Amino acid sequence: MNSKLPELLAVHELSGGYGDIQVVNGISTRVNAGEVVFITGRNGVGKSTIAKLIAGHLPLASGRVMVCDRDVSAIPAHGRRHLGLGYAPQEDVVFSELTVIENLTLSFPSRSLDRYRTLFERFPFLHGRLTQKAGTLSGGEKKVLSFCRAIAENTKLVVLDEPTEGVQPENIATMSAVVRRLTERGRGFLIVEQNLNLIRETANRVHVLDHGRIVFESLNRPGLRDALISRLRL
Amino acid sequence: MPAEIADEGTFRVRIEDGRHVDLLGTYVLNQLYITAILVLVVLGLAVVFGWLGVMNMAHGEFVMLGAYCAYMVQEAGWHPLLSLPLAVVVTGTVGLAVEGSIIRHLYRRPFDTFLATWGLALLLREGVEVIFGRGYKSVDQVLPGTVDVLGIPYPAYRLVLFSAVVLAFVGLFLFYRASTLGARIKAMVTNPVLAEAVGINTTRLAQWTFVFGVSTAGLAGALLAPLVRVEPFMGLDYLLSSFFVLIVGGLGTLEGLLIGSAVIGGVDTVASAILDKSAGYIAVLTVSIFFLWLRPHGLYSRR
Repeated sequence: MNSKLPELLAVHELSGGYGDIQVVNGISTRVNAGEVVFITGRNGVGKSTIAKLIAGHLPLASGRVMVCDRDVSAIPAHGRRHLGLGYAPQEDVVFSELTVIENLTLSFPSRSLDRYRTLFERFPFLHGRLTQKAGTLSGGEKKVLSFCRAIAENTKLVVLDEPTEGVQPENIATMSAVVRRLTERGRGFLIVEQNLNLIRETANRVHVLDHGRIVFESLNRPGLRDALISRLRL
Repeated sequence: MPAEIADEGTFRVRIEDGRHVDLLGTYVLNQLYITAILVLVVLGLAVVFGWLGVMNMAHGEFVMLGAYCAYMVQEAGWHPLLSLPLAVVVTGTVGLAVEGSIIRHLYRRPFDTFLATWGLALLLREGVEVIFGRGYKSVDQVLPGTVDVLGIPYPAYRLVLFSAVVLAFVGLFLFYRASTLGARIKAMVTNPVLAEAVGINTTRLAQWTFVFGVSTAGLAGALLAPLVRVEPFMGLDYLLSSFFVLIVGGLGTLEGLLIGSAVIGGVDTVASAILDKSAGYIAVLTVSIFFLWLRPHGLYSRR
């Protein structure tokens, strides 16, 4: 169904890891405009490593990463951000010594918060803590701050690594709604996640990872996706 | 005898021209001046070591290069003010080359930067010695004479230097606290991975931060040149006092730099006044050792 939509991310035979230890082996996937693709699986199977390889925070052992039809494999992380790839990491998600407002506006020329108006309506606690040091927020609040920052950067493609870890259920539902609304506007998401409720509510496609390889893949068909999620719950 | 006590039980002395001078006031001015000189000298190392984590053992040599720039300007017969941009350009260019060829590959490896910059320090000292010889050079006073400060005659150049340091420090403090670039530097220092993710070119930002740090050292050398003997080994003293200031004040904050400079300057001045210069060195060293032992992060660390 989405094959005619622009391809925002194409990953071909991606391999890599940490030093001599190869964690990800020959992964291929794509994210089209208006699509949410999830990567899930047990702890330690290489989910976050894929996100880091795609975002440019780990060197590729082999393979290719294309963002908006451009090969970014040799481009550093900050360059990929300017080419349309936003990224929110799993750990160290905020600049602890900076205030919330500084975290939100660091990547923009001005400190105007206009672009955050809608997000502040959905996550009102953030607006009340603008001058607070981000390091003093709770783990879940830091995740929401990181999510909002990545969303507001307005990149065509957003890679989110475990965005709901420690986040309150009502905020997870809001995050899901925000992602769905933005996909209607043509943005694409690759999300590393273990929260199966979020996956069921938000995903177009799901990859299940094990030992650094994709072992199951649901096509863009809700029936297959739900069946896969039911199997994962067992 | 140049001065004698004017009134028993007071801090006033009579100087050669018959005027009375407040000894306590002079002491306070000297203390402020010494603190300002330390801030000026240590600022570059505070940026390079405190922000980038580069243990720059060649910091004193960048001060020395700046001082030789002042000497070259004097020898060429140019206006003394030209020594300031020349020092910035020379040390900035050397810093750019050093960062690109050596330091860039060693970030987050403090011991390796220690060894590499130690070697660089030797190279710079020997290079200057080959060009200018080992002998002392002197740079003429730009502003001779004194100015009355609350009735106390004080050297004019020292006052100008003090004022320049205060302005530079306040400017840098505001820049670091309030500007977007200052926030980006803090972001790069504390979380380089996330900084890259939000689009900050951390390689380039670190490069220019390093160049800024060593240029500041060069500027300090050019400003201090009229007050000291310019020679290839002059950097060693500045290196040691810079590290003592950072040990006491703490790394990564400008407040720590100011407090460390005041403490080290104060201890040195008091011990030197009561006993002699050697006692000043020993007192500073002792205070630093106690800080390393009892308060290793200093008085105002970022951590």
